[in-house]
Amino acid sequence: MRNRLRIILNHLFTVFSGASVAVLVLVLVVVLGPMLSKGVTAVFFRSTVEFERLQFEMNNRGDKQQIENSLAEYHEHTGRIYEIYDEFCLGLNVSRQVSQVRSIARDYTRQLRYVDTPDEEYDRLKDLSRDIRDQFSEALESQDSEFALKEIDKILNMPQRSEFKGTEFEKVFKMAKTYRDVAAAMDLDKRDVYSEDLAAIGDLLSKLFGPRPSADKPPLAMNQYGATRWDRVKKLSDELLWKTQWQQQGEGMPLKEVRLSRAQMYSETPMKSFFDILENDLEKIFRPRMKIYWQYLIDDSTPGYFFGGIGPEIIGTLVLTLLAMLFAIPPGIISAVYLVEYAGDTRTVRLIRICINTLAGVPSIVFGLFGMAFFVLFLLPMFKSNASACILTASLTLSVMILPIIIRASEEAIRSVPVSYKQAALALGAGELRTVLTVTLPAAMPGILTGIILSLSRAAGETAPILFTGAVALGPIAKSLFDPTRTLSYGSYNIAVSDRISMLVPHNQYGMVSALIILVLVLNLAAIIIRSRISKRLHAS
Amino acid sequence: MQGKVIKNKYSEREAADFTRPLLLTPAEDMKGFLTEKISRASLFTVTCVSVLAVLLILIFVLKEGLVFLKSDEAKRFLTSTEWTPTHEANPVYGALSLIVGSVYVTVTSMLIAAPVGVLAAVYLSDIAPFKLRQVAKPVIELLAAIPSVAYGFFAVLVLAPLLQNKFGMVTGTNALNASLILAVMALPTIISITEDSLSAIRREIREASYALGSTRAETMIKIVIPAAHSGIIAAVILGTMRAIGETMVVWMASGNATQIPSPWWDITSSVRTMTATIAGEMGEAVKGSLHYQSLFAVGGVLLVSTFVMNLASEYFMSRVRKGGKG
Repeated sequence: MRNRLRIILNHLFTVFSGASVAVLVLVLVVVLGPMLSKGVTAVFFRSTVEFERLQFEMNNRGDKQQIENSLAEYHEHTGRIYEIYDEFCLGLNVSRQVSQVRSIARDYTRQLRYVDTPDEEYDRLKDLSRDIRDQFSEALESQDSEFALKEIDKILNMPQRSEFKGTEFEKVFKMAKTYRDVAAAMDLDKRDVYSEDLAAIGDLLSKLFGPRPSADKPPLAMNQYGATRWDRVKKLSDELLWKTQWQQQGEGMPLKEVRLSRAQMYSETPMKSFFDILENDLEKIFRPRMKIYWQYLIDDSTPGYFFGGIGPEIIGTLVLTLLAMLFAIPPGIISAVYLVEYAGDTRTVRLIRICINTLAGVPSIVFGLFGMAFFVLFLLPMFKSNASACILTASLTLSVMILPIIIRASEEAIRSVPVSYKQAALALGAGELRTVLTVTLPAAMPGILTGIILSLSRAAGETAPILFTGAVALGPIAKSLFDPTRTLSYGSYNIAVSDRISMLVPHNQYGMVSALIILVLVLNLAAIIIRSRISKRLHAS
Repeated sequence: MQGKVIKNKYSEREAADFTRPLLLTPAEDMKGFLTEKISRASLFTVTCVSVLAVLLILIFVLKEGLVFLKSDEAKRFLTSTEWTPTHEANPVYGALSLIVGSVYVTVTSMLIAAPVGVLAAVYLSDIAPFKLRQVAKPVIELLAAIPSVAYGFFAVLVLAPLLQNKFGMVTGTNALNASLILAVMALPTIISITEDSLSAIRREIREASYALGSTRAETMIKIVIPAAHSGIIAAVILGTMRAIGETMVVWMASGNATQIPSPWWDITSSVRTMTATIAGEMGEAVKGSLHYQSLFAVGGVLLVSTFVMNLASEYFMSRVRKGGKG
């Protein structure tokens, strides 16, 4: 019995420890999966006509004639949609209609005087038009559908109507007819509710189709274009078709989200065709096409990352990392050579080793503090007055951070060079320095390279040290080493937490962080591959 | 005839090399000696860069921090839980809740990461077949390689909504979220060092245990893990250092509310750590102000605590090395 229990416990132990490793793999998949899969959509997606317009106007890409043709067709569709919407809005907007009717009546009487009507006739027509105007205004202002309909019918069926044929006043009858449709379709006392909803619809419309071609160009780039991506079209049209409301469930209960179909709300109104188009014809209007937007990697972004790519961020990251390497590699390798080949086990050397280990354990934010206090506020003003945090100080800070990584990796690589190589060189009469330079270092190079690549990836991904030493979230592209720069790491932070605009474009959010992850992982994979080659070679010899 | 052939094959200078005396002249000897000495000295000088870096870090971080500690406000630094440095009339610099916040998320993350990490290391060193080990190594390395800001991004945009909507927490950015991510980030360190120390335990010890009839679980739990305990402690300390020094993740995921969780086990409350405070406030602090200096003092606390942990881990690692030899 006891043995069975021991065996069961043994199996349990195996299962648990195996599960721990499985958890690791799972975590890797769970962390990387959603970020990379969504990040890819920044480059691979279905683009719309608006995207072509954006690319043409901002970056001058694409064939002008072709874009103009497809835009003309596109604007034809959107024009019709806006027309339906505008007409319906006007039908609801009482005060605007009333003032319109008044101005029509005024124009009409002016016209009468202009054509020189006899005085009696003039007075009669003027009074009649004034009566109709007042009657229509009353109908417009009424909340009671029945009354409004009755009044409008009276206007429309009046015998004197033919007298106004061909005059300015005929427009009033046309308006009355439109309004009759509206009044027949809905409760007029809910007019306020509708007009509030219509404002929301208008807002969504300009996001979906872009501003009306006749309208002025909005100042913000994000308002100048409609939905450039098919997934965004889908999302916006969904918001248009379904109205979300938060409804009270009862005392103390949390609010519940309810989706109401707008198509149904407006099903009896002239807006019906509007929603029919939204439901069925979007694909025809936008003509989505599969697009590989590789320029994402070189384009600048509009403020708020709404459109565009991550070019400046990538360049900034590369410049920072390479500069940091430039500062850290020479002292790193030299220290490693000294520690392995020259240093004995003296007290000084032990102190140096403790310092290297300490340096490796310092939190990254403390490097940031140090970089700010030493490089930015102390060292930089000595060489260049009025300089502030910039690429140079950031890369110097990073180089201090990766120094111990390079030293340790190089030490290990140099130590793993077989002693026989060194002995052979010394036996041939080479001095110690010559042995190191011509035999040991070349033999250790692949291992050193691995360490360099690993520290490269560390420097590329680290954010805290450059927070105050030269990274900015938004700003112009750096022109010299004395300007601050945007980086992928700081950008990923910023795009995730600070901006409301960036929440609207998850593909750009995830695209930025995916670019960072891919950059770092590619570097790491390179290091892993180089190392496995080395170990194979060592095993083979 | 013969001489001509030789002349064709080697140049004058090369031919002279063959006839050079093997003994160096005093001048040449001196030259070689000096070269070695000078190169040695310059290599040593460059090596001291790292020492210099550590010294400079100490000087520049602690200098500002000490100025703060000399001021009147310092009395409440370690006793008050109120951190309101931007308050105009009455700024209070009480870092206690920040320190507690750091310790809170770090300890929680270690409670998750240490068991999982040790078990995974045991599996990889003693149980897993060779091929699986070949796969697991890169997985662990990739986990370690993912930049911390990417983990923070994941915490804010993926994990936080999940915790908030699926698990009904008041806010998704809280101590639990930060601790989970920190645990994942500390796992690679813990696993690789624990695995090293487990494989440093000699084979005979395991074999003796098996020979006495123990199962694998008993061998591992009663013999190998106790034998490797100093390595495991060092691994956990290094993992703790990784977690307590981590900035971006806690800044993004912990909620940044200056408070001590109450009741203390309420893991779903928001906390604020020392690193996040520095990252969040240094951008606005005016240079030379008390706020600026107080942030350096917080950085000094971080620095000193990692120094202590570093020394402790070195002590345990040296015991592993000695154990491996003996």
